[in-house]
Amino acid sequence: MAITTVGVVGSGTMGAGIAQIAAQHGFQVLLYDIQEEIVNRSKSNIDQQLNRLADKGKLTSAEAADIQLRIRTTVHLQDMRECQLVIEAVPERMDIKQSVFLQLGEYCSGDTILATNTSSFSVTSIANVTPNPERVAGLHFFNPAPIMPLVEVIRGIRTSKDTIEALVAFSGHIQKTPVLCQDTPGFIVNRVARPFYNEALRILGDRIASVEQIDRIMKQAGLFRMGPFELQDMIGIDINYSTTESVYAGFFGDSRFRPHYFQQRMVQSGRLGRKSGEGYFAYDR
Amino acid sequence: MTAKLNVVVIGDNALADVLRKLCSNAEGVNILDKLPGQTSLHVIVETTNDDLDRKRQNLIQAEAYGNSDTLILTTVLGITGTEAASWLRNPSKVVGFSAFSTLEKASLIEIAPALQTSETFLEQARVFFRLLQKETETVQDEVGLVYARILSMIINEAAFTLMEGTAAARDIDIAMQKGTNYPQGPLAWADEIGLDDVFAVLRGLHREIGEDRYRPAPLLRKLLYAKRLGKKAGAGFYSYTVEGEGT
Repeated sequence: MAITTVGVVGSGTMGAGIAQIAAQHGFQVLLYDIQEEIVNRSKSNIDQQLNRLADKGKLTSAEAADIQLRIRTTVHLQDMRECQLVIEAVPERMDIKQSVFLQLGEYCSGDTILATNTSSFSVTSIANVTPNPERVAGLHFFNPAPIMPLVEVIRGIRTSKDTIEALVAFSGHIQKTPVLCQDTPGFIVNRVARPFYNEALRILGDRIASVEQIDRIMKQAGLFRMGPFELQDMIGIDINYSTTESVYAGFFGDSRFRPHYFQQRMVQSGRLGRKSGEGYFAYDR
Repeated sequence: MTAKLNVVVIGDNALADVLRKLCSNAEGVNILDKLPGQTSLHVIVETTNDDLDRKRQNLIQAEAYGNSDTLILTTVLGITGTEAASWLRNPSKVVGFSAFSTLEKASLIEIAPALQTSETFLEQARVFFRLLQKETETVQDEVGLVYARILSMIINEAAFTLMEGTAAARDIDIAMQKGTNYPQGPLAWADEIGLDDVFAVLRGLHREIGEDRYRPAPLLRKLLYAKRLGKKAGAGFYSYTVEGEGT
């Protein structure tokens, strides 16, 4: 079944970004959130983003207008039945995600592909509340979704090959690079990147080198674009810490992923990085 | 140090080759092919990481050729500088440094004094690397120092991810480049560095710190047994049948 209309459930940063990129590549998009006020605000943010792209000359104003028209909003989850693909991007809470998938399983036909943008939960456990878990997979975008070129396509235990192939094809249509991944804690990126932060924190904690030294070394000796501490400040130290906690829990406490108490102290201090004006480094507000 | 520094590089890994090349290109450095009989020797650089018995022999032999002013630089990829210094009659001349064979592209190199190192020799180490056009960052002594330790742990995690069938090598590398802006995919990066040096860091951390966290991925160990040491050996995580092309 060809995908023409894409549903996006949840209109926060990730949901809005996914809706925008799908519409930019010609898909009809139906964007859902629980209240009209929320979903309308999100839609006007997307419209502004597109106008900005038009101002910069990256789109013509006619193209921007067409894209804006392709995104419709709703507060009724049953409207998702007209979509061939629904991507869920609600807050990262298992009860909310399972409740969404329970309803989507009821409203959508057995042919509809249901994808979750979860970064930390088991795709298998989300899929299993639906009557057709073989049609459910992970489709993990990276923030900001319109810009970051990668999507992880995650295969749950019961996900079918056809579902994976359809999501790989869809990723190509929206000009993202898909990588295939089994349903494991942290998938690829959030898992393999853990030592970049965790080992840097351990080196700091053991007083081998300072924050400034570690960042400088990783950039000038390692050619990383950002050091592990300035990158945590950009991501948000709280967000980075909770990703580590979740991967650590997912591997049942494997010491490779053990969080560092100093990162927890930073979270407790409220110095969360750029967004709070100070993290490992100070920023001008 | 007005005259040229006489330098000898001991070791047969990729890093030794790179250091010899950097020395040959440096004004102010006179690279010697082997340990000299007569000429005075200013700097000895020892780069062995996989075989610590050989490293020990190399360092003890080299110390005998130098005089009381000779700086001894040793890689600390698989060992601490403090342990390496303990093997020598005059441990105060030993300074540790950490780098991978990708050093040519880097503008900075990490050095670390052993607990026994004197300030004079530490300063000489900085002067020597400045002659090779590298800035130095001085950190505390521990296996791998900063960059080699963090990168080896990333590569180890990528090796576990591959071994467990979570994703294909190519997809793991693409994911880290496009999902989080790494300059290279960790598996291709490991092949370029040489899996022997990456393994030496992990084994050294595992032995010295004694935590499961540093356990090398079994796949990495097996690749080493099979002599798939990376690009220079024609195969590592990828095979390199055609020059420069991994499959």
